[in-house]
Amino acid sequence: MMITKRPLSYWVKTSNLKLQIILLFVILITVTTRVIPLEMQKKIVNHAIGQKKLELLFWYCGFYLAAVIIASGMKFVITYLQTYLGQQSLARMRKEMFEHILQLPLSFFRKTSSGLVVSSLVTEVVTSSEFVGQAVAVPVTNLLTLAAFGGYMFYLNPLLACLSLIIYPLVIAVVPRMQRRSNEANKERVDVTRQLSSKIGETVSGIHEIHANGSYHIENRKYSGFVDELMKVRIVWTLYKQGIKTTNNFFQNLGPFFLFIVGGYLAIQGRFDLGALVAFLSAQDKLYDPWKELMDFYQTYQDAKVSYVRLMEYYDIEPEHPTEPTDREAYDLKGAIQVKDLSFTVAGGIQLLKQVSLDLQPGEQLALVGFSGSGKSTLAQCISQLYTYTGGSVQIDGLEVNDMTKKDLARNLGVVAQSPFIFDGTIKENLLYSCTAMIEDGDPEKEHRYPSLDEMIEVIQQVGLFVDVLRFGLNTLLEADQEAELVDKLIRVRESFQADFGQELADFVEFFDEQRYLYFSSVAANLIFGNPNQPEFSPNQLTNNQYFLEFLDEAQLKNPLISLGRQLAEQTMDILGNLPPDEMFFQQSPILADEFDDYKTLVARGGAIRLHEFSAQDQHSLLKLALRFVPGIHKIVALPEMLEKLILDGRFLFMKKIQEDHPGAISFYRISEYIHSQTILDNTLFGKPRTDHPKSQERINQSIIQLLIEEDLLERIVEIGMNFRVGTKGDRLSGGQRQKLAIARIFLKAPPILIMDEATSALDNASQKRIQNLLETKWKGKSTLISVIHRLDTIKGYDKIGVMKAGKIIEMGTYDELLAKKGVLYEFIHGAKASAQ
Amino acid sequence: MNSSTELKQAPSEYQSNLEILMQIPMFSGLPIEPIKLLAYLCKREIFRPGEIIFQQHEVDDNAYFLIDGKATLILENDIEEEISEFGESAFIGGLSMFYGMKRLFTLKAATQVTALMLSREKFQKTLEQFPDITSKIFEGLVKTIYEWEIRLVGDRDPDCAKCRANIGVTLV
Repeated sequence: MMITKRPLSYWVKTSNLKLQIILLFVILITVTTRVIPLEMQKKIVNHAIGQKKLELLFWYCGFYLAAVIIASGMKFVITYLQTYLGQQSLARMRKEMFEHILQLPLSFFRKTSSGLVVSSLVTEVVTSSEFVGQAVAVPVTNLLTLAAFGGYMFYLNPLLACLSLIIYPLVIAVVPRMQRRSNEANKERVDVTRQLSSKIGETVSGIHEIHANGSYHIENRKYSGFVDELMKVRIVWTLYKQGIKTTNNFFQNLGPFFLFIVGGYLAIQGRFDLGALVAFLSAQDKLYDPWKELMDFYQTYQDAKVSYVRLMEYYDIEPEHPTEPTDREAYDLKGAIQVKDLSFTVAGGIQLLKQVSLDLQPGEQLALVGFSGSGKSTLAQCISQLYTYTGGSVQIDGLEVNDMTKKDLARNLGVVAQSPFIFDGTIKENLLYSCTAMIEDGDPEKEHRYPSLDEMIEVIQQVGLFVDVLRFGLNTLLEADQEAELVDKLIRVRESFQADFGQELADFVEFFDEQRYLYFSSVAANLIFGNPNQPEFSPNQLTNNQYFLEFLDEAQLKNPLISLGRQLAEQTMDILGNLPPDEMFFQQSPILADEFDDYKTLVARGGAIRLHEFSAQDQHSLLKLALRFVPGIHKIVALPEMLEKLILDGRFLFMKKIQEDHPGAISFYRISEYIHSQTILDNTLFGKPRTDHPKSQERINQSIIQLLIEEDLLERIVEIGMNFRVGTKGDRLSGGQRQKLAIARIFLKAPPILIMDEATSALDNASQKRIQNLLETKWKGKSTLISVIHRLDTIKGYDKIGVMKAGKIIEMGTYDELLAKKGVLYEFIHGAKASAQ
Repeated sequence: MNSSTELKQAPSEYQSNLEILMQIPMFSGLPIEPIKLLAYLCKREIFRPGEIIFQQHEVDDNAYFLIDGKATLILENDIEEEISEFGESAFIGGLSMFYGMKRLFTLKAATQVTALMLSREKFQKTLEQFPDITSKIFEGLVKTIYEWEIRLVGDRDPDCAKCRANIGVTLV
């Protein structure tokens, strides 16, 4: 049965039966132990105290204590079992709901925001599962307890028992009426919570647009609307809930009233002994807890029912296609595609596709071109079963696509979407995504296992992602105790690198050289010339490091540096002083955007005063700035030659001093030692790139690749690069890299049918050409290809070209045929040429 | 504030950028504040002989001022056709500051070239801060195009019918 059709009781019935039985057993013991203290109470008063028997008193008190301890222990066991059952069913509900939601058709997700799904799976299911945990234990325990105490009371005095139980029918008559109102409010609460979640989801996904439009107030207003509504609904709901509790309390508290009146009268008359009255009062008092728990349970049940029904209603949609075939293996298709009179109509009677027909032999390649909105992508998506077409037929190898299971298609089809989705994880995980899905799905060809490293490297080379992955690898930091062998090799590479390319790359890279000033490193790095192993020597801590400050004084550097800092601050303020602090403006100044105001007031304070007149704190701030100064980046101030010499001399003084005073505090840059705080690239370069211009990166890459090949390290670095984490939705990759990765994962899967929906739109010309070449050489004849294309210069190599307009294919044929015909495609191409000129 | 008298040192790169920008017609009419910001934001780059500065058909969002060296403009249609040569003080790509276009030519360094580069992003950020300067910049830009066409009209070959049709860019 589909999960959404199951009643709430299903979850109780299917919960862990063994545990439920144990639970019942424990409950029976508990109930018994609950009555014992009452009887003891009576015995203590009447026998022990009344007859002044000390020995009996101890015995009875002992029983009393034991009963209380056992009851408490059992209560704990009950709670534990109950929680376990509840959480277990919560986990089950969450998993099964998720599984169901994943299979819902795309059309469902167009009207459902991610926020709503999140709130359903995270919060809405919780109340239902709480109920499942309690469903057996709570009512049974409490009803039994009630029965036990009630029975005991009858045993003491039937008349009084009737009197004190008379309130309960009253409560039962009143409460459900109030509960109905509470349920109404709860329903509304669920709905408003949902709207609120949707709103939050929408806001987060649209944050770009909000920032770009500065539309914060619009979003705040919409959001506040929902929040206020939720507040009102919650107040009403809580009032009803509390109202029920209060009513219940009121009736409960009336109980002793009857008892005192009647019981007291009987005791005075001598028809009822005092011990029995005390026991009776206690029993009456003990009724309170189980009854209250029953009431709470009743409310939980009602709330759970409301949430559960609401939840299941929303997701009560059948998946359009079964996940996998039940009576056969998944198909292995050849890839002949036949589309006949295909039409696709969406709500409102809008026809997106009209009578589309086409025919492709296995391995044939079709390009779909046309205006945007002409139905190219829709056609591709109908063929890949992402949309369920409403008329005509789509057949692969003579089998109707609408009748296939998801698994049939997943095995035979590879889709690269317009803006492909990249999952959080490593490049490798994303690369293997399609393959993993297929392999874990029980691929019949068992030998067709995970691709080898070589295959992965080959495919990332083909799509033009190799250099990017290599770069990720090169930008990796290796931990001190990691990859000892690689580290050794890298140091060797570094030495050959300097020998082979040092001369040639001197324009692009500034190598670390003890004897020379580093223009692309900060003043602090120039002084320390190494890697701090202790936090107090890290760059941002230096100005608080007394040892370092004393060193600056000794090296005659303090005042010149403060003066440099002042010049930097003044020059920055002269240029940026009247502008709003925009992140981009601070890339070329040592002042950070969030420090801007502080330095602005400092400069204003400075005016015409002399260096020594600055307060100690201002001097400190200026020194901080100077230590950050990188002459190669912060071009607003030129580094005076004299200061450069002083700093260089200071470097040697620092080296000498620190080795004497704090040996081991710094690992100096030595050509024979790996620098763990720097990337593999910087370690190999043993220096810093001078510019971020693509051409110099290219140049450095080429040299390094050449060397890594010689040293047989290239694959190792690429392998490290494949462990690069791409971030949520792949946001640490560029648009082009994401597309390449998406293409690579499909190529790696190598399905008989490829569907590419403007798959190369974010790529540069060269990559686009390379992939087009690959399609024409490697894939032609191997996989049937349907490619939605936005750029006409890549269509020449296709076997067939379909030109679409307003949901129809208006021209179909080879490139040459269509050009000779001088129809729409001809016009497209020549129109495009004319406007480019 | 005048830092150069304080320490009597060589001018910073920023200061020499400032002097360069003030010479370029597109910026010459501007007040000093925005020029300072542009001088601060632009970057220098060295191209070796034979290196491509920008490539035909590729989007390039930079304007270039050749501080030093020579560069050749090439049209790549089946064969490489050299169009012209730019020398010291040439300013190339001013229009890219307003519209991201694919280059119709390739620019290649003929000798070692030192270029001052400004990206559209940075230029647009400057315009955001100083919106009033837009019209001044357009004036400079249009003037350059106008002078170009005057030369074009003067040089035109009266026998070439096709060339005639290509004249008139100042009429847009």
